[in-house]
Amino acid sequence: MDARDLPHEQRQAILAGDTERAVELAREALATGADILACVDDGFVAGIREVGRLWAEGEYFLPELVQGAEAMKAAMAVLRPELRKSEPERERRTRVVLGTVQGDIHDIGKSLVGTVLEANGFDVVDLGSDVPGEVFVDQVAQDGARILGLSALLTTTMSGQGRVIELLKERGLRDDVFVLVGGAPVTHRFAAEIGADGYAANAMAALDEARRVLGEER
Amino acid sequence: MSADLAQLWGRSPVLLDGGMVTALIARGFTGGGSPELWNVERPDDVLAVHAGYLEAGSVVIQTNTFGGNGLALLGHGLASEMEALNHAAACIARRAIEQHGQGGRLVAGNLGPSGSFLPPVGDADPGELTEAFSAQAAALAAGGVDYLAIETMTDVEEALCALHGARRATDLPVTVCLTFEKGPRGFFTMMGNPLEDTARTLADAGADAVGANCSIGSETLLEACPLLVAASPVPVVVKPNAGLPELEDGQPLYRQAPRDFARDMAAMARLGARAVGGCCGTDEHFIAALASELAADAGRSE
Repeated sequence: MDARDLPHEQRQAILAGDTERAVELAREALATGADILACVDDGFVAGIREVGRLWAEGEYFLPELVQGAEAMKAAMAVLRPELRKSEPERERRTRVVLGTVQGDIHDIGKSLVGTVLEANGFDVVDLGSDVPGEVFVDQVAQDGARILGLSALLTTTMSGQGRVIELLKERGLRDDVFVLVGGAPVTHRFAAEIGADGYAANAMAALDEARRVLGEER
Repeated sequence: MSADLAQLWGRSPVLLDGGMVTALIARGFTGGGSPELWNVERPDDVLAVHAGYLEAGSVVIQTNTFGGNGLALLGHGLASEMEALNHAAACIARRAIEQHGQGGRLVAGNLGPSGSFLPPVGDADPGELTEAFSAQAAALAAGGVDYLAIETMTDVEEALCALHGARRATDLPVTVCLTFEKGPRGFFTMMGNPLEDTARTLADAGADAVGANCSIGSETLLEACPLLVAASPVPVVVKPNAGLPELEDGQPLYRQAPRDFARDMAAMARLGARAVGGCCGTDEHFIAALASELAADAGRSE
């Protein structure tokens, strides 16, 4: 297959939420020696960004979001070993800890953030959802994580983000990690109020924020 | 075929009640636990909520069983108490009506979401869902409810499981409300079910009434109401929230004034809604304000 077609087909597979096809195309990329980073950026990530755009425009709903995310996850699982190989200095990859706060089981958006960050060179530890504050802080301490991403999708759980920041202060870790927050009810203002270092409305914005706080140029 | 809902409901529009969990929070309930537990641990408080609504003019009071599905109770370690909690809820509502003393009041058995999602969002099994709803419906019927009110459904497929489950368990009338959001392309559930299509689907599947509750305020639901009325071959139920909540000290606060809610609901009744009530954030003041508006309308049309 002509390698130039691959990213387009990969993008389409994510848009269609076709996990089998996405995995097939990821394997094809490896087998044909295609430019893996191009496949990721112009293919799979472009696909999930389009899913996000269609969601924002009220064309795609939760099922389409989930199917796109599943296809993305599966494709990335196939490509991950190759991506890691192409970055010889593993220790240099910035460690990010992610999770949805305690009492909140929403995780799709947060998982997408993880996928996009990982595809762009970050080392992501996703703690899942309904994560107690102490677990976040313990992981940050254990991994020496530079970025902690907290997600909350409910007005009743978003205060958990502030509590994790307080816990970091109590443990003397606040200055060692950048805290980014997100989730539907979360805003820039709320982020500032609780003392977070950044806020992102979606996975692509999260990538920009991560780079911004680390002082990198896009 | 089920008993005649129109006969039960009497004159149009029928006044439903307001939020239950909102009222329990005012009485000390804190999020995280199961409100249904109050049916056995604090029945007097639940009774007081019903009494408040009956006093305010509600013709229908709804059981405190929103999270009473066996699958939903699993998360609180209360699955084994499903029958007891639902039965108790129905009995409390019946007692409230008895004590209130006025005729023609009804108990609606509330069936809320199971908390499990059907594929592709989750891995729930439709057969298991239907069975859980059926068991809950049976417990409510045994407790003496007059009809069943399926509510706050975000997926028409789950709503159909609930409807089939209810029909399997009893001959009582069943109303079905989904929760819609207004997006750039119109009103859809979180799973992407369009408003008009779902109304027709549920009516075709045997719902005695269909409608919308929760998620949105009365101003927004007022926009959806004519669409619902036009699309639905069966009577329409509308139960919005008291506006959209604002977060204060970690608690959601609903700031809509009862009179604004009442004005919108009365407008929906004039547009053809058959049953009107309130969801999260509404209380007896909202229902009382609505009762006044409806009485004024009735007076005007004589």
